Amino acid sequence: MQLRIPAIGVSSANVVHYGLDYDFKYSNGMPVRYVAVPFPFTGQPKAVDVGYVTGKDVLSGQPLMTAVIKALTDPLTAEEKISGAPEGQASDTRLLPSDTDENLRRLFEDKGWTDYNWVKLPTEKLVTEMVNGTSRKPGEVIKSIDITGGSRQLTVEKVAIAAVMAGASPDHFPLILALATQAPFGNSTSSMANMIVINGPIRKRLNFNCGTNALGPYNRSNAVVGRAFTIVSKIVGDLRNNVNAWESLGSNLQYNNLCFAENEENLPEGWDPLHVQMGFKPNDDVVSVGIGWTSVSSVGGSQSLYPTHFLIRDYMRSLSASGSAATILMDPTVAALLKDTHGFKTKAQLAEWFSQNVEKTAGSYWGNGVIQSTAVPFALQGLEPYASWKKLPDDTLIKPFTNPGAIRVVVTGGKVQTTWFVTDFGLRRGLKVDDWA
Amino acid sequence: MERRKMLTMLGLSPALVAGYPAYARTAVKAVPDSSSGDGLITVLNPGIPNKLATRYPLAPPLDNLEDKTIYMINLSWEGPDAGNYFYGAMREWLAQRYPGIKTSLKVTADGMFGLDPAILKEMTANKADGAIVGVAG
Repeated sequence: MQLRIPAIGVSSANVVHYGLDYDFKYSNGMPVRYVAVPFPFTGQPKAVDVGYVTGKDVLSGQPLMTAVIKALTDPLTAEEKISGAPEGQASDTRLLPSDTDENLRRLFEDKGWTDYNWVKLPTEKLVTEMVNGTSRKPGEVIKSIDITGGSRQLTVEKVAIAAVMAGASPDHFPLILALATQAPFGNSTSSMANMIVINGPIRKRLNFNCGTNALGPYNRSNAVVGRAFTIVSKIVGDLRNNVNAWESLGSNLQYNNLCFAENEENLPEGWDPLHVQMGFKPNDDVVSVGIGWTSVSSVGGSQSLYPTHFLIRDYMRSLSASGSAATILMDPTVAALLKDTHGFKTKAQLAEWFSQNVEKTAGSYWGNGVIQSTAVPFALQGLEPYASWKKLPDDTLIKPFTNPGAIRVVVTGGKVQTTWFVTDFGLRRGLKVDDWA
Repeated sequence: MERRKMLTMLGLSPALVAGYPAYARTAVKAVPDSSSGDGLITVLNPGIPNKLATRYPLAPPLDNLEDKTIYMINLSWEGPDAGNYFYGAMREWLAQRYPGIKTSLKVTADGMFGLDPAILKEMTANKADGAIVGVAG
């Protein structure tokens, strides 16, 4: 719907700079007039936000309301009247000019194509070998980026380049292609991170680690597949610091994306592997990806004086419960304890218990910025339970994990200690690797 | 002499000549490469060029704000409170200086990335003259 009335944008300076440059050039195409307030805008005392109205426009230095009035009333410039296809489209250059190893590495870093660790340079020979790891054609487009964040097409060959850079082998490539369909990874002004879980026989075939140190730097497949997702995400997302990547603190988890495999062989009887819970067959090779922010460790092992699921419940109160999502990672010994001592016959039964027993105050729930962004719209639309929760006094307890199906339990680790993590990662439905072989 | 090799010997980066100016900062250090023999490597380009967006012109501006109907759209970035405080003060400021102005503050029910058709419908019905959209950050 086009109203054909002047509409101006008001935001804090960092968002406005993105809007005037990157978003205008590659996504929006409309030279929106902006007025800027200082950053940060949200989370400030009321007096600060009110004070911005009588303060200065950060862009022009004029009084903010003068800038607002001018933005609504100034005649259009020639630039603001342009319509149609833009001139000067950049073309893709398949090969870079030949150069030394040192210069190429510097180029890759300055362009933001790497994670700033040592990469294997993608010679044509190596990339061709990588592409031969799939039956897909090099030029096949596997993903188009066409929303906010620019407009780019990710081909099989570009994924192969990233896979070579990450140190992967052609055997890894179908899995990395499946992963690449989920690129670019989660990235926002919050410190968003990502999780990759591998299930099925591919764990053994590619020697993924799901035992001792499953989450640590002790295995090549865990390392290079997680890293490949970072590099392909940076390339297709054009993620460059302060250009198209704006995480205030960032996340160290983005180096490897918590890439690990489930220890399917050591699941208690009745506890299905993650991919089987999602409806896949046990022999399907599946990769599951999700976004989240936080991981809280049990620190030590389970204690007989306080049931393990009680402590997991307690720690889950610190999660935002955005989308009712949680992923609990636990050592096989914890899974055995929960099954044999505490009677949870299935993962689903355990997830249901958490959904029913994790409580936090309404004030704590609504006090989270991501919840404000995602759940307030539901409340405004009258959707329950959010509409009712919005009316509650701050100290009223609610059960924020409304959907037990969004609480995932993944068993991994080496049976060294009864340790676990609660995380707020929301794993999406997995992807079959064979579809990309 | 082969051109790339000559540039290298002169301390120039062939990438510089091709339009990557940052790479003339240091003299080139030859790296043995059994495949080329000249210390230079040819690699595939990881980068994916952005496609420039189709251009859309702005709507004509207003002559002035007297007696106009201006909608203030709160995108509810990390919740609606900050935007409501800000727009509330803006409404007061405008009302004091433009007695005939009508302002309407709306919080989008679709969140910060969604369109809210109900607001657009209301703006059409009420013949809105202009809009201020925000506030992110």
